Amino acid sequence: MAAVQTSRQRLANRLAIAAVIVVTLIFLAPIYWIGSTAFKPRALATTVPPTVLFQPEITPFIKLFTKRVQLTRPVEEEVYEAAPWWERRIYDGGERVLRVGDSVQLSGYPDRFKNSLIVAVTSTLLAVSMGTLTAYGFSRFRVPGEQDWLFFILSTRMLPPVVVAIPMFLMYRAVGMTDTHIGLIILYTAFNLSFSVWLMKGFIDEIPKEYEEAALVDGYTRMQAFFKIVLPEATTGIAATAVFCFITAWNEYAFALMLTNRDAQTAPPFIPAQVGSGLTDWTAIAAGTFLFLLPVAIFTFLLRNHLLRGMSFGAIRK
Amino acid sequence: MRMKLTGVLAGIGLVLSSGTSVFAQELTIFWAEWDPANYLQELVNEYTAETGVTVRVETTPWADFQTKAFAEFNAHGDAYDLVVGDSQWLGAGSEGGHFVDLTEFFEKHNLHEVFVPATIKYYSEYNGKYWAIPTEGDANGWAYRKDWFEDPAEKAAFKEKYGYELDVPKDYKQLRDIAEFFHRPDEGRYGIAIYTDNSYDGLIMGVEQTIFSYGGELGDYGTYQVQGITNSPENIEALEMYRELYQFTPPNWGKTFFLENNQAITEGLAAMSMNYFAFFPALANPATNPHAENTGYFVNPAGPGGAQFAALGGQGMSIVSYSQNKEEAFKFLEWFIREDVQQKWGALGGYTCHAAVLESEEFRKATPFNEAFYQSMQIVKDFWAVPEYAELLSQMNNRVYPYVVGGQGTAKEALDGLAADWEETFKRYGRLN
Amino acid sequence: MTTAALDRLDPQARAAARGWSDIKIRNMFIIPTILFLIVFNIFPLLYSLGYSFTDFRASVNAPASFIGLENYRRLLSDPNIWRNFTVTAKYVIVSVGGQMIVGFGVALLLNRAFPFKGFVTTLLLLPMMMSMAVVGLFWKLLYDPSWGIINYALGLGRFDWLSNPDMALYAVAITDIWMWSPFVMLLSLAGLSAVPKHLYEAAAIDRASSWYTFTRITLPLVSPLLLIALIFRTMEAFKSFDLPFIMSGQPTTEVIAIRLYKMAFQEWQTGLSCALAYIMLIVVIAITNVYIKYLNRVKER
Repeated sequence: MAAVQTSRQRLANRLAIAAVIVVTLIFLAPIYWIGSTAFKPRALATTVPPTVLFQPEITPFIKLFTKRVQLTRPVEEEVYEAAPWWERRIYDGGERVLRVGDSVQLSGYPDRFKNSLIVAVTSTLLAVSMGTLTAYGFSRFRVPGEQDWLFFILSTRMLPPVVVAIPMFLMYRAVGMTDTHIGLIILYTAFNLSFSVWLMKGFIDEIPKEYEEAALVDGYTRMQAFFKIVLPEATTGIAATAVFCFITAWNEYAFALMLTNRDAQTAPPFIPAQVGSGLTDWTAIAAGTFLFLLPVAIFTFLLRNHLLRGMSFGAIRK
Repeated sequence: MRMKLTGVLAGIGLVLSSGTSVFAQELTIFWAEWDPANYLQELVNEYTAETGVTVRVETTPWADFQTKAFAEFNAHGDAYDLVVGDSQWLGAGSEGGHFVDLTEFFEKHNLHEVFVPATIKYYSEYNGKYWAIPTEGDANGWAYRKDWFEDPAEKAAFKEKYGYELDVPKDYKQLRDIAEFFHRPDEGRYGIAIYTDNSYDGLIMGVEQTIFSYGGELGDYGTYQVQGITNSPENIEALEMYRELYQFTPPNWGKTFFLENNQAITEGLAAMSMNYFAFFPALANPATNPHAENTGYFVNPAGPGGAQFAALGGQGMSIVSYSQNKEEAFKFLEWFIREDVQQKWGALGGYTCHAAVLESEEFRKATPFNEAFYQSMQIVKDFWAVPEYAELLSQMNNRVYPYVVGGQGTAKEALDGLAADWEETFKRYGRLN
Repeated sequence: MTTAALDRLDPQARAAARGWSDIKIRNMFIIPTILFLIVFNIFPLLYSLGYSFTDFRASVNAPASFIGLENYRRLLSDPNIWRNFTVTAKYVIVSVGGQMIVGFGVALLLNRAFPFKGFVTTLLLLPMMMSMAVVGLFWKLLYDPSWGIINYALGLGRFDWLSNPDMALYAVAITDIWMWSPFVMLLSLAGLSAVPKHLYEAAAIDRASSWYTFTRITLPLVSPLLLIALIFRTMEAFKSFDLPFIMSGQPTTEVIAIRLYKMAFQEWQTGLSCALAYIMLIVVIAITNVYIKYLNRVKER
C-alpha cells in the first residue's frame, strides 16, 4: 500500500516538475525577448515572425552610453572612414555622436547607474536592519497600542506617490535635500520600512520563543539571544525582505524624477526615454534594461539559497 | 583659538564668494529629452567659447517635462535660469509670475520684425505682453509614401474609383479618399496614421488642426465664449472626419503619438502619417527609415471651405523669474537672437523661427521637409493658452476620445458636452459670467 | 505546539539582570522607526488634508481660499470619478486575484526538491525586478498586432488587445500578473517551507486525501504570509498608475491614479487632487482593515 502511494507521489512529482518547466518558459519568454533585443541590429527588433537567429551586436550598448543625434542624411565618406570602429556603428544607425571639442559626450546612463547603486544599496541596508529590529520589538514585547502602530506603519505606503510627491518636494527644498543621494536614500528607506517591518514580523513570529528562552536560561543576555539565535533563524526572511526592498528602491521612478536633477538622478527615468528624434530605439532601451537588470538578478541569485532554505525551526518544532 | 575661528570664517567666506562667482558663470536651460535639446547644447557651447559662461541644457523625458518644470516653478525654485516651454504654458507662466516679462526686450531688439509673426503670436504673446523668444518652431505636417502614390497601377485604380488623379491631398476629402484607397488590412497596409493619445495633448493636436481647417474655432480666445463655437456645425463635421480617418488606421491605433506615427512610416504600415516636423529627420535618413527615399512630406490640407491651418508645436525660451542669474540670461538671449546664431541653430538641426533664416533658399532646401515646414509655419494655430489649459485638454480628451476611438455617441453629443464643460470651467475661473 | 509557551514574554518578569532591560531594547528597536515614519508622513498627510478644503492651485500665484467640503462634493458627484473607481476595483480584483492564483500555484509546484531549484526560482523572479515603465513599454510592443510576438505565438493574427475597450483592462492586468505573481510566489514559498514536514507525514500515515492535507494543513499555515502578500499587492494595485497609463488610453483602463495624476500634475488643481487623494486613502484603509482583521483571526487559529 505504501509503495503505491510513493509511486503515485513520484508521478505527481514528475508532473509538477514538468509544469515548473513550462511555467518558467512562459514567464521567461518576454525577458528572453528583451534580452535578445539588446543585442539585435535595430531593423530586426520589430520583425514578424520574431528573429531568433541573428549575429549579436554590441551597437545597442554603444548607443546606450553615448549622446547622439539623428542625421538627416548619411555622413560623408571621409568622415566615416576616419572614425573609430564604434563611432562607425553609430553612423551606420543614422546618427552622430556629440562632442565638446574633441571629447565624446557620454549619455546620462553611466552616472545614473552609479547613483542607482548607491541609493538602492544603502537604503536597502537601512530598511532591512531597521525593519528587522522593529519587527522583533513588536513580535516579542508588549507594545501599548500595538495594532494601531502596526497599522500606522502600513498606512505610510497607502498614499499614491503622486500625492506625496508635491509636499515631499516642498519639504526637501526647504531643507536642501533635493538632488542629493542622502535625500533619496532616506525616502526609499521610509518607503520600504513599512514592508520590511510587516514582512519581518511575519517571519519572526514563526520562530518559536522556546529557543530564546532556553538561551536566556543558559545565561545569554536578551541582545545576545537576538543576535545569536533569532537573527540566524530569520535569514530567510531577511533575504526575502532585502530582495524586495532592493527591487523597489532600484526601480523607483516617480520620486527619482521629482526630487533629483543632475547630481543624484537614478536610471529608471532615463531608460525608456531614449526617443532621439522621434523613433523608439528598442535595441538601446533593451540594452539599458538588460544591464540594469543584472545587479538585481545577481543579488537575488546570490541570496537564492537563503530564500529557499526554509526555517529549520519550522521543520523541527513540535 | 581665535586664530582658528577667524581662519575658519575666512575659509567659509572664501568658499561662499568663490561659490557665487562660479554660479554667475553658469546658466541652466531646461528642456525635454530629444534631439533639438542636443542641438541646442551644441549651439550654446559656442556661447561658452565666446564668453566663458557655461551653459548647460538640462533635460527630462517628454512625458514628465511639464510636471517637472511646473513643480520647480511652483516652488519658486532657481534650478533653471531659462526654460524652453510649450506655447500653452504662457498663461500659467505669466499669470503665475514664473516667467520674466520680455516686452521691453522685444521692443528694444525689434523682434516683431525679426521673427515670423505667427511664431511671436503663439510662442511669445500673452495678454498683450511678451514672455518668450520663439526658439524651436514646429507644426503638424504629414509624411507620405511617394512610391505608393506614384505607382502607375495605383494611380489608374484610384482615378477609376474616385474620378480624379491620385496626388498629394489638397483637401480633407482627398485625404480621406486616399486613406480609404490604401487601407488594405489583408496586405498589412493601412491608409493613414493619426494621433489618438489622450494622456496629454496628442489626440487634441490632430483634432484641432482638422477643426481649424474646417473653418472652425475651439472658442473665442478673447471673450471665452464657447457655446455655438466649440460645437459649431463646422467643428462637428471636422470631428466626424477625424473619426472617419480613424477607420483607416493600422490596428491598435488607440494610443498613438509621434513615436508610433513615425513607426507607421518606417515599418511600411501606412500610406500617410501625421507628425510634427521636429520628428521628420528620422524619416529622411535611410539608416532609420528603409523607405527614406520614397518618403515625401506635405502641409496639412485645407478643409471644405478652403481654410488651411496646422496645429502648432514647438517652444519658446523664457527666463525663469526665480533665477539668480537673470542678467546673464538676458545677455544670453541677446546672443541667441543674433542672425548668425539663428543661422547656426538652423544648420545644426534646430527649427529657427527667425524670418530671414527661415525664408532663405539655403534653409528651405536643407532637408526634404523644410519647404513644407516653412509653409506650415505661416498657417499655424494653437490651443487655448489660459493657465487652466490642461483642464480644458482633459475635458476635451474625455469627450472626444470615446467618440473617435470607441465610436460612442455622435460628434454633436461629444462637442455639446465639451462646450458645456468648458463653459462651466471658464465660469469657475471667472472668465465668463 | 503549546500555545501557552508562545505567549508574549513578559517584560516585567523577564527584566533580566544581565544586559539591557527588555523595555529598553523594545524602545530602542521600535521608537526610531516610528519617529522616522511620523516625520516622513505627517507633513505630506497634513499638507494634503489642509489643501483638500481649499481651491488651491500650485501653478498660480494666488492665495488658497477655504471652500469647505466643496472639493469632496464636486468629486463625489462627478460620474467620471465613479467610473474611475469602478475601473480600479475591477483592475484590482482581476490582477491581484490572478497574481494570488498564479503565484501560489507556482509556489506549490516549486515546493519540492528538484535540480537547479535555486536557479529556476531566481529566473522566475526576473519579471518583478524590472521597472514598471520599461515593462509597460515592452509589453505594449509584445501586444502589438503588427509586430508583437504574443499574437504571433498564439496565432491570433491582428487581434487588437489594447485599443479594444473590452479587452484593454485584461491585457494590462495580464502584464501586471506576469510582473507580480513572482512576488506572491516567493512569499508563499517561504510560508510553505515553514510548514513542518511531520504534519504531512502524519497526514500520509492517516491516509488523508491530498485535498484534506491542502485545506487543513497547508493553507492555514501559509495563510498569514499569503495575506501579507495580498495586503501589499492590493495596496499597490489600487495605486497602480504606470502600466495602464503607458499601455492603454481606453476609458475602460483609466484607473483612479491616472485621474489623480492628471489632476495633480497636469491641471495643477492641487486642492481638488488632495481631496481625491484623501478619498482614495480612506478606501484603502477600509480595505486593508478588513484584511488585517482577517489576518489576525487566521493567526489566532
